[in-house]
Amino acid sequence: MRARTALLVTLGAALALATMPWLLSDFALSLTLSCLMYAGLAVSWAMFCGPTHYLSLATSAFFGIGAYVTAWGVGTLAYPVAVLLGGLSAAAFAALVGAAVLHLRGAYFAVITFGLGELVRHAITYFEKSYAHTVGRVIADAPDAFTIYFTVLAVTLAAVGTSILVRASRFGLALAGIGSDEERAQTLGVDARLTKIAAFTLSAAFAGALGAAMAVRWTYIEPTSVFNPFIGFQTVLIAMVGGAQTLIGPIVSSVFFSLLTEFLRLQFPYAFLAILGLLLIILVLYLPGGLASLFTRWRKVHA
Amino acid sequence: MGFWLELAASGLITGGIYAVVAIGLNLQYGLMRIMNISHGEFLMLGAYLTWLAHTTFKLNPLLSLPAVALAMFALGLVVYRLCFYRIARTAPAVEVIEARSLLVGFGLMFLVQNAVYLVWGADLRGYSYLTDPVDIAGARFTANRLLVFAFAVAASLLLLAVLRWTMIGKAVRAMMQSPIGAQMVGIDTAVLHPVVFGAGLALAGVAGGLLSMVYEISPSMGEPYTVTALIVITLGGLGSALGSLIGGFILGVVEAFGMHFTSPSLKMLLSYAVLVAVLLARPKGLFSR
Amino acid sequence: MREALIHARGVRVRFGGLVAVDGVDLEVRAGELVGVIGPNGAGKTTFFHTLSGVLVPDEGRLLVAGEDLTGRAPHVYARHGVARTFQTPRVFRDMTAAQNVRFGLQFAGRTRKHAHDAFDDVHAILGFLGLADAAEVQAGGLTPARQRLLEIGVALGARPRVLLLDEVAAGLTHNEIDATAQLVRRVRDELGVAVIWIEHAVRVLMNYVERVAVLHQGRKIADGAPRNVSKQPAVIEAYLGEEGEPEMKEAP
Repeated sequence: MRARTALLVTLGAALALATMPWLLSDFALSLTLSCLMYAGLAVSWAMFCGPTHYLSLATSAFFGIGAYVTAWGVGTLAYPVAVLLGGLSAAAFAALVGAAVLHLRGAYFAVITFGLGELVRHAITYFEKSYAHTVGRVIADAPDAFTIYFTVLAVTLAAVGTSILVRASRFGLALAGIGSDEERAQTLGVDARLTKIAAFTLSAAFAGALGAAMAVRWTYIEPTSVFNPFIGFQTVLIAMVGGAQTLIGPIVSSVFFSLLTEFLRLQFPYAFLAILGLLLIILVLYLPGGLASLFTRWRKVHA
Repeated sequence: MGFWLELAASGLITGGIYAVVAIGLNLQYGLMRIMNISHGEFLMLGAYLTWLAHTTFKLNPLLSLPAVALAMFALGLVVYRLCFYRIARTAPAVEVIEARSLLVGFGLMFLVQNAVYLVWGADLRGYSYLTDPVDIAGARFTANRLLVFAFAVAASLLLLAVLRWTMIGKAVRAMMQSPIGAQMVGIDTAVLHPVVFGAGLALAGVAGGLLSMVYEISPSMGEPYTVTALIVITLGGLGSALGSLIGGFILGVVEAFGMHFTSPSLKMLLSYAVLVAVLLARPKGLFSR
Repeated sequence: MREALIHARGVRVRFGGLVAVDGVDLEVRAGELVGVIGPNGAGKTTFFHTLSGVLVPDEGRLLVAGEDLTGRAPHVYARHGVARTFQTPRVFRDMTAAQNVRFGLQFAGRTRKHAHDAFDDVHAILGFLGLADAAEVQAGGLTPARQRLLEIGVALGARPRVLLLDEVAAGLTHNEIDATAQLVRRVRDELGVAVIWIEHAVRVLMNYVERVAVLHQGRKIADGAPRNVSKQPAVIEAYLGEEGEPEMKEAP
């Protein structure tokens, strides 16, 4: 699909989604909001991790950073500004971390990014306790549900649009080359280090913006609830099942998993996390190419 | 003087635990390219098993350690067969093995941690064991922490000895250096891989059991140890058990002193700072040739 | 006197206790076709790694068109006009042949201008190599021989001033080797690219290059016209240990 067509389709979908607040019940809207958030997270995760085959477990950290920017800024900053700032803060953090660890191999990178959530959580806890003399924060001035919905929609739209543009650009080609054979790409003129840092940063920006946008849904914010490893887990599960190499895969997958998670959460309020963990294991073992591979296999059979 | 000794010693004690956990992970990754990101969860399981044995069966935790090790070893064999064996068999390249085992490990982490939540809840549990203070050279320690240190060091040294002087240890080292060569002389990966995986989990479980003697336990206690183990491996070099031992001690001491001068909440920041420093100075680790 | 395109000075590479490249000097000027030969383990490919920035030498300097690029990342070398092939063809397997060649044009080749038209067109490059019919075929599906040719095309896509070829004739039949050698010669003659060519098929190489450097155990033991080099005792001795190495023919 050509980039221009993809962008138009995205815009169309966004317009359709924009009418939802008036058509859906509160519960359904909340569910849609969750789907949108995970779609945005999964698409931006796949922006970097898809072509390069890196496994980043840092989404929780970026999301949390964005959430705290809102927690600190609510009241003083306008909501859209907080969202923007949340994205920028997460991006800055990602650039720093990326510069330090992106040259490492897959496994090292994965574990180190996983620890980032802990790291940032501890740092913020310390900061809050020592300088702000508080444990958590109350969000008093939350915008209404419609505003939240449109903001998240906008950020997700931006993530999808950016992803389309990146894939069609030289930048996306460089990433694909890095993922295929990094050294080869370098000998053909790709500055691998800079390219990876840039993509990692870009992906973090959206995660941070989404965190900042969603933070207002909590009335009380504290580090433990905000830096929840589940966000990172769910993002990876969605992207992996949907197929991180494609654009539509993570989007469809996010809808599926948001609904599945909601269903599981209602049926097995204590066990659903364990069930999802088991699901990831089974999927990686028996369907490592994600659902996309089933699709390709079906196409080959019926060709 | 006593105070600094206490601080250094407490760093060494923590470091001993780090070493035990790191050696296990080192063996698994060095041999099989399996980075078991759920490693810490098995530490947690070991802690819970020891706690269970103590509170339910009134067993001396020291005595239950071997049983815990055995149980975790057996669990390791099962986990390997169910979760990782298939990856090794079906993956087209080592990078794919690494990538898929990371994802499986990630799922395993959520599965195990939340299973424990289900059974025992999120509350902190604990028991009291050998909390009498002991005075050594002007420094005061609780007896249980000394015991933890002694056992951690003993376990690490035992493992180093096994690696260096037994047939199976030599087989492991041979496999790590040259997988094809080792297979050509008849070393059977079908046996070696699950055994090493089980051994790694057993080490983690023992570390957890030791920790349960000193600290309170919770389902999420294991998470940070995986990251710390990786930092230790980076410090000491992949494939070097001795490096992990020394690296563990170094990290423990650096953390202890760092936390004293800044704040205990900055422990992670300190470990990451150490990691970044090592990466910048010697990207291949302090002990690699 | 033309300035050297590539000037390696005292390059030394150590792997632990082993010295793979032991103080090698090499100067290659624009338009030269230089062969690099030597028995197995002589350090030829390792030397290539330093020339392309893939490996940073422990000692020595690397100058490209007068600029000291020692220690810089490979993409800097590429942007200064150094392109290479690898011993085992490393093409982007999931991309088509045309996309592979275009890759170089999109990056290192983007800022470089070259006098010859062939470099601006993916299909011209593919045609030059005899791969025009394979343009839309996935690189991973090509035969190894054609992948080797594609490797050259990928490197040409970067619009290099100097091309490093690493054993492009390996595993080919006698006729194929000759055809490949002619192709190498054409790259220099028609496209004006300097070529440094490592080859194991020494006899063929010697017929096509004007200059050959001989590496043995990491050191350069000879550097000159093929007919002179093939007579040097040190060179003959180096190859005596080699199984099945044919006598070196004189250049025409």
